[in-house]
Amino acid sequence: MKIMTCPVNGPRNISEFQWLGPVHDTAEATDADLLNRLFFAPNPMGVLREWWRHTPSNTVFIAERDLTTDEILRSYLKGSDADRTASPA
Amino acid sequence: MPLELLKYGLRRGHKPFHDIPPTPDLRRSYDVVIIGGGGHGLAAAYYLSRYHGITNVAVLEKGYLAGGNTARNTTTVRSNYLTIPSIEFYREGVSLFENMSHELGFNVMFSQRGQLTLAHSDGAMRSFRLRAEMGKHAGTRIEVVDARGVQKICPHVNMDFGGQHEVLGGLWHADGGTARHDAVAWGYAKRAAENGVQIHQRTEVTGFGVSGDRVTEVRTNRGTIQAGQVLQAAGGMNGRIAEMAGIRLPIRCFPLQAMVTQPLKPFLDILLSSSDLHTYLVQSSRGEIVIGGGTDPYQLASTRSTLPQKEALATGALQLMPFLHNVKLLRQWAGITDITPDFSPIMGASPLQNYWLDAGWGTWGFKATGVAGKRMAETVATARVPDILRPFALDRFSRFELLNEMGATAAGH
Amino acid sequence: MNNRLGNGWGSRIDRNASMAFTFEGRPVTAHPGDTIASALAANGEWVLSRSFKYHRPRGVLTMAGQDANTLVQIGDEANVRADLREAAQGMAVTPLNVSGSLRRDRGRIIDRLGRFLPVGFYYRTFFGPGKNSWLKLWEPIIRASAGLGTVSLTPARRHYAKETRHCDLLVVGAGPAGLAAAITAAKAGADVILVEKEPELGGALTYARFDANAADAACKLAELRDKAAAAGITVLTGATCNGRFADNWMPVLQGDRLIRIRAAELVLATGAHEQPLIFRNNDLPGVMLSSAAQRLMRHYGVRPGQRAVVYAGDRDGYLAALDLDDAGVRIAAVVDPETEDRDGLSDVLIQRGLTVMRGCRITEAQGNRGGLHLKSVEIRDDNGTATSLDCDLLVVAGGYTPGYQLALHAGARLTSDDSGTRFSITGMPPHVHLAGAAAGLSDLGAVVASGEIAGTRAAAGLGLLPAQDLPAPVQARWRRAVPSQAHPKGRDFVDFDEDLQVKDIENAIADGYRELELIKRYSTVGMGPSQGRHAALATARIVARKTARSLAEVGITTSRPPFGPEKLGLLADTTPERYRHTALHAVHQAAGARMSPVGAWWRPLAYPGTAPMSDAIRREIRLVREAVGMLDVSTLGKLELRGKDAATFLDRIYTMAHARQPVGRVRYCLALNEMGSILDDGVAYRLAEDHFYVTATTGAVERLYAEMMLQKTLWGMEVDIQNVTAAFAAINLTGPHAREVLQRLPGSIDFTREGFAYLDGRSGELAGCPVRAMRIGFTGELSYELHLPQSHAPALWAALAQAGAEPYGLEASRMLRLEKGHIIIGQDTDALSTPDELDMGWALSRKKPFHVGKAATEQRRAMGRKRQLCGFVLPGGNDAGIGESSLVLSNGQPIGHVTSFGHSPTLGKWIGLAYAAPEDAKPGSQIRLRGFSATEIKAPVVALPFYDADNTRQEI
Repeated sequence: MKIMTCPVNGPRNISEFQWLGPVHDTAEATDADLLNRLFFAPNPMGVLREWWRHTPSNTVFIAERDLTTDEILRSYLKGSDADRTASPA
Repeated sequence: MPLELLKYGLRRGHKPFHDIPPTPDLRRSYDVVIIGGGGHGLAAAYYLSRYHGITNVAVLEKGYLAGGNTARNTTTVRSNYLTIPSIEFYREGVSLFENMSHELGFNVMFSQRGQLTLAHSDGAMRSFRLRAEMGKHAGTRIEVVDARGVQKICPHVNMDFGGQHEVLGGLWHADGGTARHDAVAWGYAKRAAENGVQIHQRTEVTGFGVSGDRVTEVRTNRGTIQAGQVLQAAGGMNGRIAEMAGIRLPIRCFPLQAMVTQPLKPFLDILLSSSDLHTYLVQSSRGEIVIGGGTDPYQLASTRSTLPQKEALATGALQLMPFLHNVKLLRQWAGITDITPDFSPIMGASPLQNYWLDAGWGTWGFKATGVAGKRMAETVATARVPDILRPFALDRFSRFELLNEMGATAAGH
Repeated sequence: MNNRLGNGWGSRIDRNASMAFTFEGRPVTAHPGDTIASALAANGEWVLSRSFKYHRPRGVLTMAGQDANTLVQIGDEANVRADLREAAQGMAVTPLNVSGSLRRDRGRIIDRLGRFLPVGFYYRTFFGPGKNSWLKLWEPIIRASAGLGTVSLTPARRHYAKETRHCDLLVVGAGPAGLAAAITAAKAGADVILVEKEPELGGALTYARFDANAADAACKLAELRDKAAAAGITVLTGATCNGRFADNWMPVLQGDRLIRIRAAELVLATGAHEQPLIFRNNDLPGVMLSSAAQRLMRHYGVRPGQRAVVYAGDRDGYLAALDLDDAGVRIAAVVDPETEDRDGLSDVLIQRGLTVMRGCRITEAQGNRGGLHLKSVEIRDDNGTATSLDCDLLVVAGGYTPGYQLALHAGARLTSDDSGTRFSITGMPPHVHLAGAAAGLSDLGAVVASGEIAGTRAAAGLGLLPAQDLPAPVQARWRRAVPSQAHPKGRDFVDFDEDLQVKDIENAIADGYRELELIKRYSTVGMGPSQGRHAALATARIVARKTARSLAEVGITTSRPPFGPEKLGLLADTTPERYRHTALHAVHQAAGARMSPVGAWWRPLAYPGTAPMSDAIRREIRLVREAVGMLDVSTLGKLELRGKDAATFLDRIYTMAHARQPVGRVRYCLALNEMGSILDDGVAYRLAEDHFYVTATTGAVERLYAEMMLQKTLWGMEVDIQNVTAAFAAINLTGPHAREVLQRLPGSIDFTREGFAYLDGRSGELAGCPVRAMRIGFTGELSYELHLPQSHAPALWAALAQAGAEPYGLEASRMLRLEKGHIIIGQDTDALSTPDELDMGWALSRKKPFHVGKAATEQRRAMGRKRQLCGFVLPGGNDAGIGESSLVLSNGQPIGHVTSFGHSPTLGKWIGLAYAAPEDAKPGSQIRLRGFSATEIKAPVVALPFYDADNTRQEI
């Protein structure tokens, strides 16, 4: 089983985590980008920034993961230093 | 013994069958370029060449023939869907399978033994009743059975799970069956090639030349070709290919894992599945028990396999048939599915005039091999999307006219 | 016949004890420690089963469980490897693929018909003459011969166990390399687990010969075992590491136990697999690998034959010949394909008086009558001159492929040199180290050294040794495997499992299947239980030769877990998933409830006692309408939201306005998803300015909770959200007498009509229990929902009963709510349902700038609705068989379906909810319904609710 590193609880089995989908550029959908946001989710052959939740501790955080290799590059809390240096999704 | 084998055996030496010709050199231009040498692409090539007189066709396959999801799916053929457009489309798919061996002169081993889906809850029974009513309306063979009916159809099912997941009833779909996945692709390939279609293995599309709203050329690792019409049927790579053509598809990739046991003397004739347990079982003609379930819980475009999914599939299988505990697993594998927001395929037009889509098949593309190939060939040949495909148009999402199949696809494939 | 060697041979058997089992009904004696195959061989039984396709007799090939030849049935267990499974007293062993007896199998006729069955023959025929001939005529015939062993439908129960372990270093394989690696790392302070599939440590040291002097291996074995014992290593023997998953998550099978090991570092000392040789009749019993002959002798004290020919494709052939000679097996000849003496060992043999034939190949083996055992071997020299030697044993040393499987699972590749005779593993990922024969090494000193290097590097990876001055990683060497040729008359098997000969592979290529994977699929080569361990390489070579490509272009093989067979029982979770029990579960049972799993919970459907269910349901409905009933609604999802942004947060999650909801008031909540479809509903009770108690449907609460946590993080809001579903129980008290019941109980809450209005919420004490009471309800009657810590629930339930309330169940509840036209999320809605389709526009606050799904709702509203949920009544009885999921037709086409339906005892009518075309869905109009018996009827649409249109009853 893969290991995911929760920014609060450290490395844990990935079965303890729930995948919550891609990080969008904006918190809310605007009318203009609604369809994109609803239906045209990113599906890169590369790194995706995505929301994860560590269910036992209820920690929601961001992970950067390569969708072709399943390699988790890093994980961090929203608003952390790492988040601020992240490349836009 | 059939006559063909007698004739073969009495001949001296092996007279090759030449099913798949060696990959030829690329021509400079083709009337139709089909991207993806899986079942769908090959079937489309066959129908174009056989029924529409279009033979200057290239099928481009980046790896080996039918090595993607055609080779990795668990070969279920069924039409027990929830909405009329889906049922009508897949019903035509099933009927093409019924005659496929004869159409192709190649035994695809379509075995219509029926599919039984178990219900362990009120909600499942209600949903089955709806599927049965819709199916009957559309002329398919489908009915809801009670617990006694389940036992009659499949006496091996564990009915009470020790008080857990008690089987309340099931959905019996007599039209359901399996076919030999490879044979379907090879049969279409063989006959398409005989009609003049060129099949190019190890030929990867690397880009497109687009002029205005038309694709003009297809670039590959073996050279650039001109294309009159382009049909993309690239399975797990559909999103990526469309992107090269500047088209964004509402597709995300998820792995779908399955596994198979060592060969055993046949004891399970039907396809057995349970939507509540996310598990299905079928015994192949080799005697192996194929075990499958739902997709992985997160987005990924890798065919790696995982232990937790294997454990989950084994758990489901043993809940359905506890006596299998001694049976040994032989292989585990995965395919990459291209899932759309409404779990239904995208077929028909694209924003480009001469570029046609056959995508978003998720976990259920195999059963549509014939019908998608036939109807996409018709689309490409006539430049008009037939009515049966219209509900599956790409622009349904912007109209919020999604197909209401979200409940019908789980663990049924 | 007794084939036991004398003392000094047979390290694993206990000659002082004996036991008996049966093979095909015949008694067989064995010593403890014997495998089934070794015991049978000791008794002169060399045929274990018949082959899958041609029914050819098959026997011991590897003695290591690497092939399907040795599969047998033991009682209720199918496909058991006879060369691995220890013999046990009383077991009943039967051979596979036999009709009649093993020696006189009726199926052997198929061997003669082989020429009529070309590769892929089933694609050519068997589908005529009729449309259905495959299914009705041919498939049953083919299916009858499919499969290997037989599944028992009533096998004995077994207890399987799972456990999880963590370690610094997992070493797979306890041969000399694995032992050295484990010892080195353990000495450096690592916590090491060493996994070995054999019952003892030592690997090849326990059976193979490394030099002319056989004693060297024994000394090294003793030394390594002593060191391992002293080093504090956790040893698992008889344990197979069956795969490598991401981040070194390693399944290890030991008996009926699955041990999942998380290892920071991994050393793969998985050895090498000796390869069979291809020649005519290479599958005859009596033909075996050199390692198999050595295992039989050293482990089990079994003489593999009386007179042997040894094929020395590599050094190990010579060494095996020495062992055979030591054991007193006569050696007819040692056959070496090379003309030069590469290894300097032939002199040793010649000194012993043995014959060495150089520059010769084995071209054919001949069997005795019935082909049950090897009788002679045909040998040809480079000039093609043939010699025939009588023998009952042919020992083949045809080279090796590295034990590549786990390395390939980890992402490495199996590569070959240009000539395709030497193999290596490249591209190992971090934290995985290769050692020993798996790295292509065969010299014992080099093997041990490679283990030490791997152990050192693993220890450095753990930070136990300095990272500087590390020895270079073990360089994978090429390991030789001897190519072999086809025989013009065939029966030269490439794949023993699937009975595939060289010509089958060649013909597959000729038929157009030129890619390795296509050949595999077309011919089924490598698809059997041995997973191509012996066939993959040979096949790749044939393909390379036939298609004029290099092995690198062709590719050799891939590998996926599992490495070997694993029982489903080992993988399955032993604790079945269980439905949850509410705090009142026992109370319901004691009251004679009919319980049923609903969603994730056991719930009471009704309390019939000894009465029929339908009577009970009618009685309970009347109870609520005319007196007072109570329902266990503990299964509701319950969320607690606290913080200064709590109200703002709810305003964004739900469609109604909560910011100005007064403290002490309860409001309906409707949640949409971003697409504007209905996700969930419930109520929110404002306990304080910054504190809400929110209910959700039982099926949706987990999803809703996760969604809330995500949105909270996204929006950066100060709100603490707790899922208290399991902590709180809830009881719905409903009926015209509900208030009187409550007022009979002691407590701090004012339940008067004036003091506790509809949609009020009050917290306080009731019958000694802390409760949150809300005046809401699903039934349309005067209702109170009482939430309280679950441990208090039985006490309050009892107090309510004492005060005059009687329980009712879910069936009555469903009808009571239907009479009021209330929807159930998930039953009356689906993934596309919008509030507009349910006439719930009233629940969408127009003033709020935002709630989840608002933008989509507006866009979808602009596109108009295609269906509408409406209420209908049947004009008379239900002769048409209308039910939930009956179709609603418009112009003969289904436009919707009945979502809820039943006979209302209150109204004396059949009533229901259904999706219909919007133009038909208006009161006064009619909808066309199709019953389950296909009868169509028209049903009038009526305004909702069906009962108490002015909602006066809940206000009393």
